[in-house]
Amino acid sequence: MTKNEGSPKIRAGAKQEPGLTKKVDKKKDGKGISRYMTLPGLLVSLLVLVIPLLVALYMSFTDWSPTRGGLLESNWIGFENYTELLYWDNRFVHAVVRTLMISATCLALEFSLGLGLAVLFLREFPGKSILFSAFLTPMMVLPVVVGYIFWMLFQSNGPVNQILEIVLGAEAAVQWFRSPNHAVFAVIITEVWHWTPLFFLILLSGLKSIPENPIRAAIILGASPGQVFWRVVIPMLKPVIIVAFVIRGMEVIKLFDEVFMLTRGGPGSSTETISLYIYKLAFNDFQLAYAAAAAFLVLIGSLTLIHFMLLPVRDRLLEGNR
Amino acid sequence: MTEPKKLTPLQVVILLVALILSLFPIFWIVMTAIKPPTDWNASPAIWIPSEPTMINFRTLFDPDAIRAYGVGGVSQAATSAVIGSIIASVTATFISVTIGLFSAIGISRYAKNSKWTPLIILSGRMFIPAAIAVPFVIIFSNIGLTDTYTGLIAIYVAITLPFSTWMLKSFVDDLPREIEEAAMIDGRSRLMAHLTVTIPLIKGGLFATTMFIFILNWSEFLFALVLSYSNINTIPVQLAKYVTATAGTLYGVQAALAVLAMLPLIIIGFYIQGHLARGMTFGAIKQ
Repeated sequence: MTKNEGSPKIRAGAKQEPGLTKKVDKKKDGKGISRYMTLPGLLVSLLVLVIPLLVALYMSFTDWSPTRGGLLESNWIGFENYTELLYWDNRFVHAVVRTLMISATCLALEFSLGLGLAVLFLREFPGKSILFSAFLTPMMVLPVVVGYIFWMLFQSNGPVNQILEIVLGAEAAVQWFRSPNHAVFAVIITEVWHWTPLFFLILLSGLKSIPENPIRAAIILGASPGQVFWRVVIPMLKPVIIVAFVIRGMEVIKLFDEVFMLTRGGPGSSTETISLYIYKLAFNDFQLAYAAAAAFLVLIGSLTLIHFMLLPVRDRLLEGNR
Repeated sequence: MTEPKKLTPLQVVILLVALILSLFPIFWIVMTAIKPPTDWNASPAIWIPSEPTMINFRTLFDPDAIRAYGVGGVSQAATSAVIGSIIASVTATFISVTIGLFSAIGISRYAKNSKWTPLIILSGRMFIPAAIAVPFVIIFSNIGLTDTYTGLIAIYVAITLPFSTWMLKSFVDDLPREIEEAAMIDGRSRLMAHLTVTIPLIKGGLFATTMFIFILNWSEFLFALVLSYSNINTIPVQLAKYVTATAGTLYGVQAALAVLAMLPLIIIGFYIQGHLARGMTFGAIKQ
């Protein structure tokens, strides 16, 4: 494959000359209403951003519950919800730690599997495009359906246990949703099946756009295939790897749909993610003010976390034809 | 990369195993959907039904047939869920892409919008939906928007706007601005130049974005779950109801609905396959 072939374009860090940009910028910010085209989008985003945060913040200092009626008919209880949440509520802290651990495990597995498959796709073989489409299929399935499918697969009389019994013997069958460790394992497998294709897709785009000259040079200089891969290919792939981790990282910490269908957070609270915990607090137990405190902490926490995750890719995302 | 090499036998085996693992879950749900009720939850599980049937698909849309299974809670046919999903997804997709299109052109073409606007719009994606759902449900119940399509559509627009804006922005960025400037020299206003030149030129991208946003809206579960009581319904919510009723009793019917729900997405997904990376990565990776 030559580098001029229609391989995916990855944006390089190259920017336009500053002088030129300035000139164009002055010219393009002329008069007319089209400058304000971003207003509707901005307005929607600010509404989604600011109002829920303020409402969650206000509620979190009260003891409001749906039976009280209007939002203002509640007692101001100060930081009580927060102290309860952080000092006494093990479920909340556990849910946070569990979500981060499940996320890290999923990302590591999805990255390794996705990279392995993407590397194989650099070779030529018959049926490649069909296989490519087949590998992307899991990503297109609705999360709720993915949850339901794996719920069926992991039933005690389901196919996963059938296969385990054939391969490892009759004792190998597992009550997947009865033991905490197995349930967490099932959640991770489900998530990895669902989203490895995205890593595969992103990393393959990245691999295809790597220029061949450095690789040729390394080979001529006597580098082994392993050295070429780890010392030349991976460093050049780094920006793409970071994008993949950021994009998936942003989504995996929201984990809800699949777990809801698979375990509802059970057995006990052993598979409860942040999302599921807040959902249960608010919509099963109707402790809305308390849930609002948890929601506010999580919103601030996730905004901060994702803000830092975005830092390395922000310019890459922003830069366009400006 | 270097010259394409052939696969070693081990690599062929790896690819085949990966292929089976990728498709087996989908095979399973399709098989379950065409199993007769006696095969649904047989022990050991039946892989391929001896007598494939479409009865589950018929039951899905027949309230009497659903009730005949005598499962408490699921007396409702899936018809309302399918209609609800279509109403919410199509409308929200249309609005999200329209607002996104204008934002995208504005960000890409006007310098004063290019720094903070895209990041503010992107931040809608940084919120954990479950957390944002709590204040939203409170607000909505105070202004009468819970259990209405208006409320659901408003949320869908808000949460897909980052994707529609950023994906379209990446298509507009690809277009040299000289093309619009030429149109303006012809005497057209800026707005007209955008409407008559920019938009037709990114038609393909606009279509791919619309399909991508539709996939997102069609898949959404959490907000539909917390905002729907009796007036509104979507397919994902209906799917979850079958489990609540009495776990697993309606295996086959549920699988039938799952197959109906995922079929359009798989078709659309293949169709816009080349744009998926761009959509998912907010345009950071173009394919």
